[in-house]
Amino acid sequence: MGSSEDDKVVAVIMVGGPTKGTRFRPLSLNIPKPLFPLGGQPMVHHPISACKRIPNLAQIYLVGFYEEREFALYVSSISNELRIPVRYLREDKPHGSAGALYNFRDLIMEDNPSHIFLLNCDVCCSFPLPEMLDAHRNYGGMGTILVIKVSAESASQFGELVADPDTNELLHYTEKPETFVSDLINCGVYVFTPDIFNAIQGVSSQRKDRENLRRVSSFEALQSATRNLTTDFVRLDQDILSPLAGKKQLYTYETMDFWEQIKTPGMSLKCSGLYLAQFRLTSPNLLASGDGTKNATIIGDVYVHPSAKIHPTAKIGPNVSISANARIGAGVRLISCIILDGVEIMENAVVTNAIVGWKSSIGRWSRVQAEGDFNAKLGITILGEAVGVEDEVVVTNSIVLPNKTLNVSVHQEIIL
Amino acid sequence: MKALILVGGFGTRLRPLTLSVPKPLVEFANKPMILHQIEALKAVGVTEVVLAINYQPEVMLNFLKEFEAKLGIKIICSQETEPLGTAGPLALARDKLIDDTGEPFFVLNSDVISEYPFAEMIEFHKAHGGEASIMVTKVDEPSKYGVVVTEESTGKVEKFVEKPKLFVGNKINAGIYLLNPAVLDRIELRPTSIEKEVFPKIALEGKLFAMVLPGFWMDIGQPRDYITGLRLYLDSLRKKSSLKLATGANIVGNVLVHESAQIGEGCLIGPDVAVGPGCVVESGVRLSRCTVMRGVRIKKHACISSSIIGWHSTVGQWARVENMTILGEDVHVCDEIYSNGGVVLPHKEIKSSILKPEIVM
Repeated sequence: MGSSEDDKVVAVIMVGGPTKGTRFRPLSLNIPKPLFPLGGQPMVHHPISACKRIPNLAQIYLVGFYEEREFALYVSSISNELRIPVRYLREDKPHGSAGALYNFRDLIMEDNPSHIFLLNCDVCCSFPLPEMLDAHRNYGGMGTILVIKVSAESASQFGELVADPDTNELLHYTEKPETFVSDLINCGVYVFTPDIFNAIQGVSSQRKDRENLRRVSSFEALQSATRNLTTDFVRLDQDILSPLAGKKQLYTYETMDFWEQIKTPGMSLKCSGLYLAQFRLTSPNLLASGDGTKNATIIGDVYVHPSAKIHPTAKIGPNVSISANARIGAGVRLISCIILDGVEIMENAVVTNAIVGWKSSIGRWSRVQAEGDFNAKLGITILGEAVGVEDEVVVTNSIVLPNKTLNVSVHQEIIL
Repeated sequence: MKALILVGGFGTRLRPLTLSVPKPLVEFANKPMILHQIEALKAVGVTEVVLAINYQPEVMLNFLKEFEAKLGIKIICSQETEPLGTAGPLALARDKLIDDTGEPFFVLNSDVISEYPFAEMIEFHKAHGGEASIMVTKVDEPSKYGVVVTEESTGKVEKFVEKPKLFVGNKINAGIYLLNPAVLDRIELRPTSIEKEVFPKIALEGKLFAMVLPGFWMDIGQPRDYITGLRLYLDSLRKKSSLKLATGANIVGNVLVHESAQIGEGCLIGPDVAVGPGCVVESGVRLSRCTVMRGVRIKKHACISSSIIGWHSTVGQWARVENMTILGEDVHVCDEIYSNGGVVLPHKEIKSSILKPEIVM
């Protein structure tokens, strides 16, 4: 197992499943979360394109609980587009994040890679993967974790780490602590050498031997009715990172760029904006421009799918993403929103801090808006698939499930 | 004879249940809603039923194959590509409804439950010799609905008044019609309302007659009415001395328990409860005015009232679930949790109490 520059690298992206992450409803009622568009591209596309920058990348695996057919089209088209084999692997039962990696180790090791990247699909960041790999090679450990500094108050939502300031070694790791441990948190992006499989197997064997002496609450009993918590369920955070911290096996690489978790529709609007801002630096040709003469007025970072039609008197942006076949009428104002495929927005309507679902229709002079708190439950207005908002109706701080028509104004409500 | 059932759309008012299953297949009193109607139609000699739908035909078609075989009745779907209102679907299904016999055909609204007195309706229709018959039912608050004003003695319909401000009558359209094929000539293939456009014309010609629906009536398209409807339905079973109702020391009032369900010791079940196939109700459980769908487990000492528990859900020990709590499919309420009117979407875990009515997505 040498570490020459020619050795291959395999990337594994965890994409989750339909009954997990219900926080992404109502959007996840119509589309698997990993395929929801951020900055005009499916969520999973961003880590995949980042993987393309890794030298000697041999294969990308997407691992999740969705049915194969949900990813079949996407996987084949992205494999063609990026000229890299991308394959979706379905977990038959929950194995935990590390257990899942172990479950597919034969496939992952097929190309005999020297390094394996593990990424979570619902992480929004700049994915500095080549730099992380270089750092990892220098450290010479079993794994390197991408980390970022956050505010002390928000740190407790994540896995908090303590790293040696000189060697960057991981000294301590704890998941969602109640008291303050550190403002450095786990970004959910890792690179490992194949030794990781031995470590995971070690945990499984230990479990087989140890008896479960803890009092099992009914909640846990409910869980273990559906999964075998004992042998092959291995969590990366609690079972691998925590125990191995301080043993010169795990290291950290700090990113100074942006980082967010995309757990809710509100956050997807924020992250769409972050990616659009990133395009401004890396590929500005993807962004729209216009000054109201031949094309609509564009302010700030805006993505418009080539098949979308926008009237020249509309004003779009900042932070707007418009998907395929959308039609934006005369005098429309769009600010901080995601307009999905096939949406029709009629004359003089205003949409702010909202996500408008596929094939919805927004009437003349209607107003779809929200306060814009990405973290609040009703901070961004979400309209599901095929929602109709009639002329002059106002919808504020609300969530509307698919196939509803609103003919009266709605405020601060969930409409099933 | 033939019949058309207006199944329509997405059943959004019965969410979260209809997020898992199309509305006509949602069970009511342990039987899919639409099966209640199809069985009653078969009993009166209908040989062919057309379902007018505009959503999820694949799921419906699978179900239909199963019941076509079991019931020995032909069931076909007529799918709208755009919403056609309450009359348009009849025009769309025209060829399926008309044959050489010239017999009248039934039209039912899929959300309606009642005793379905179809035989009496056929007699009534023959007797008056008009073009169309509709069932009307008496309600306490007619101005919530469309009132049908009729001539007392003959039942001839004089007019329809939509949500009248002053009292004009207390009979409303019950959503059950028996129509001669000639009615189809009056309906164009476009979004049309049968109450607002078609029936008033027939009434003007003195050819529309209304029969007062004997027995109970309910539109069970939303949870509150679904629960009330169960009470009325079980009440009517009691009146017919039905053997289907459960009996025993732990049963009070009208209760339906599927033969494959298990009820533990020390429970008190009822009144107005339906427990579905494969359910396990552990000991010491109190159930009243609720529906427990297939495969649900209610753990010890729990107490549930005025709620609907969706398929394969679980309710934890000592949990209290009440006040129009609607649990979707595969929802797990942890031990000791209190839910006051929680409306919970499928595949959720409830780990903290819901103190006032709210939607949990």
